[in-house]
Amino acid sequence: MNTAGVRRTLVAIGLAAALLASWPVPAFPQAKRGGVLTFALYQEPETLNPYIATQTASFEVNVFTIEGLLGVGPDGEYFPLLAKEVPSRQNGGVSGDGKTITYHFKDGLKWSDGQPVTCDDVRFTWQAIVDPKSGASGTTGYRDIETVDCPSPSTVVVRYKTFYAPFLSRFDAIMPRHAAGDPAEMPRWAYNRKPVGTGPFTMLEWVSGDHITFIPNRYYREAGKPYLSAVIIRITPSREVGKQLIKTGEIDVLWDLVESDVPELQPAAGVKISSAPSSFAERLVLNLADPTLDGPPLDQVEKNPHPILGDPRVREAIELGINKQEIIDKLLFGLATIGTNELHIGWARCATKPSEYDPARARQLLEQAGWKPGSDGIRVAQGARYAKDGTRLRLKLQTTTGNKLREQAEQLLIDYMKQIGLEFYIENVPSPVLFGSWASGAFRKHGHFDVVLYTTNPDVDPQSQVEGYFASWSSPTAANSGAGFNYARWGNKTADENINLAKNSPDINARKKAYCAVMGEIVKDRPHIYLYDRSSIHAYRDRMQGWVTNVWDRLGWNAEDWSLR
Amino acid sequence: MGAYVLRRLVQAVPLLWLISLVVFLLLHVIPGGPMAAYENNPDMTAEDLHRLEHDLGLDAPLHVQYVRWLAALVHGDWGYSLASKRPVLVEIGDRLPNTVYLMGVATLVTLLLAIPIGIFSAVRQYSTLDHVVTTVAFMGHSIPIFWFGLILIIVFHVMLRNPLSGAPLFPGGGMYTLGMPFSLLDRLHHLVLPVGMLAVANAATYTRYTRASMLEVIGQDYIRTARAKGTPEPLVIWKHGLKNAATPVVTILALDLPALFAGAVFTETMFSWPGMGRLFIESAFRVDYALLMAIIMVTAALTVAFNLLADVTYAVLDPRIRYG
Repeated sequence: MNTAGVRRTLVAIGLAAALLASWPVPAFPQAKRGGVLTFALYQEPETLNPYIATQTASFEVNVFTIEGLLGVGPDGEYFPLLAKEVPSRQNGGVSGDGKTITYHFKDGLKWSDGQPVTCDDVRFTWQAIVDPKSGASGTTGYRDIETVDCPSPSTVVVRYKTFYAPFLSRFDAIMPRHAAGDPAEMPRWAYNRKPVGTGPFTMLEWVSGDHITFIPNRYYREAGKPYLSAVIIRITPSREVGKQLIKTGEIDVLWDLVESDVPELQPAAGVKISSAPSSFAERLVLNLADPTLDGPPLDQVEKNPHPILGDPRVREAIELGINKQEIIDKLLFGLATIGTNELHIGWARCATKPSEYDPARARQLLEQAGWKPGSDGIRVAQGARYAKDGTRLRLKLQTTTGNKLREQAEQLLIDYMKQIGLEFYIENVPSPVLFGSWASGAFRKHGHFDVVLYTTNPDVDPQSQVEGYFASWSSPTAANSGAGFNYARWGNKTADENINLAKNSPDINARKKAYCAVMGEIVKDRPHIYLYDRSSIHAYRDRMQGWVTNVWDRLGWNAEDWSLR
Repeated sequence: MGAYVLRRLVQAVPLLWLISLVVFLLLHVIPGGPMAAYENNPDMTAEDLHRLEHDLGLDAPLHVQYVRWLAALVHGDWGYSLASKRPVLVEIGDRLPNTVYLMGVATLVTLLLAIPIGIFSAVRQYSTLDHVVTTVAFMGHSIPIFWFGLILIIVFHVMLRNPLSGAPLFPGGGMYTLGMPFSLLDRLHHLVLPVGMLAVANAATYTRYTRASMLEVIGQDYIRTARAKGTPEPLVIWKHGLKNAATPVVTILALDLPALFAGAVFTETMFSWPGMGRLFIESAFRVDYALLMAIIMVTAALTVAFNLLADVTYAVLDPRIRYG
């Protein structure tokens, strides 16, 4: 080919590119009723079966079609969904011993294939979950059920063998017997990719790795709803890409942002940010046991406390030395609230006073605890309660690698601690290492750490979280094969008693009181130091109407009310 | 030749077996594992964890797990994805056509761009165009592809608008406009950015190889002879030159072709392309042993196969090469 030939080819390529570029892009028609909403997820659900799924994305998708007996509103309180009312002692739905729960269905409920919803579907759901071959992920609560009785097709009577306090949180998804399959074959059900539900939408198609389309369920119980003519879940591989797509309006809803995304999206025309405090609390977990011991049971912890953190005065000094507000202002763009305790929102919320930033008092406490300033400003033990004289006040601080926010927070923490004469040094690890299992030898499970920084959160019913993290019997040891999350190895009689009280009381007010007593002990004793409560942040286009933030449920919890301008 | 191919194929069996063993072990060294998704859920009891671990066969000793996997594979059973519980072949079948489509077009565009440009800059060595092409090739080769992809999206999707409709100039991802009936134009429109990104990144390599190889060939005596005979210049370059210069290019191409199966991880990730590259990445994050093993093993098998194909092609391209 001569020069002219190459030139001709290049010109032709250029022309072709220009032609491609000038094609008009088709746009969806917009209307008050009707219209297609595109919802971007940066994770693809592995399955839509709510009892097999583990990823959040699975639940963000199946909420459009799968419903349970009760829902949870923005205030963290239960409301009836398929049931007529929330069972309580007052309305006769809960028996005196709290072991028999009665639900009545709303009238005329139908599945999206037109079949009636009956009590038998609830019974089937229970049978499927507890079938040993079903591969259901969590069976807590369902195992405690003796039987599900069906006195009539629209009445469900759940009989528990033993009292199970979070009973209202069970059956948050009902599966249809006629459209599912053999419980022993649950992982292979066609239902898992194309569920039949009662929600406002029903699934049209799922194109692997690309999108999932929902169309209105014509048997939906609320007449005239949903308003939209379709919801398309678009799988975008990363949050970064999703941010670009929402700026151009190619998507309407962008799920799950972090604080640092907000300054970029806030000024974008047509983009609205939804930010609300969530149940997720970023905290320091302090190891109260000697970190050289391997998963010590609690009776050993008393004899072998952590040389530095075993003294409550040191723990208090650490908390008083941290300027939580500054962390929020500097790193979180003010989009978080000061951390107080595990239950800062929800029906069981317990308001406790946020700690004061008081480095002077912190220094004084360390002084009293027998930690005297050394030559370089870092304190050294001199008559400390557990540490040998001459021990340096030095603690390892660990979190997950690759999380910029946490890494920045660590820098601030190092700085705060330096000011009171305590030295933090960082040894971050990948998250599978930090959050690993007992069997894999994870140091968090085995108690080989000083301080770890991460986020966790209670569920709508906080029992499993509070008991799992703070009951003395929840410390992971060899004897219990590492079950439980009490990594602080905190043993507190008052807390234990109240955890049991909350676990065994059918009275919701008694439970609230008991949880608050546990929170009081945590705040006083500091097995965890709560830094800040994270916000749940999402973005949506302003052409969308009917968005209601609900941190207790999925974004699509009220999708029947969504519409496009 | 036939005996040679047969021998190579027989040699491939122990090689692939060894690869499967190493990959299997490496995957199990990764901290976390498929059970990690359950372990931090306070609603999961220890019994639940053991039951699931047993159901998935993960409680068996490692060598037993490997033998089970291998035995099933010998019977043609690739197993089930640990995450979606669907057969591995179904998962791959959903994604493979999309990857073949993207990578096929991208490879074609790459070659159509790179080979003529490579030849041209060899024939006109040290001309202005050669300098420009060399510079651009190095830039294309050196730009981090994930960064480049994001820049393409920001420029061609977010910043630039179609002057007629006001819509973004190019779609920011996906294979087609969601909710629209099939349209060839729409498909091509969605191809431009990902193919452009792949072509810029890959064309650089091919251009450099073509140029270097062509330069060497052009200096050979037989080219001078051809010219002396009065053979027209295009024939000298394309027939006598390119055929001899193609050997190294074919090697690179053969090594790249398994990507038709494996996909392009970064490109697919940047442009929301539902292909094999993303399937691989997602499976890696979920530590989905069955799916990862299948993708890696098929890619390994294809690499072995295409290497053999390249060797055979040498013999065709260059009669001096003989296998016996």
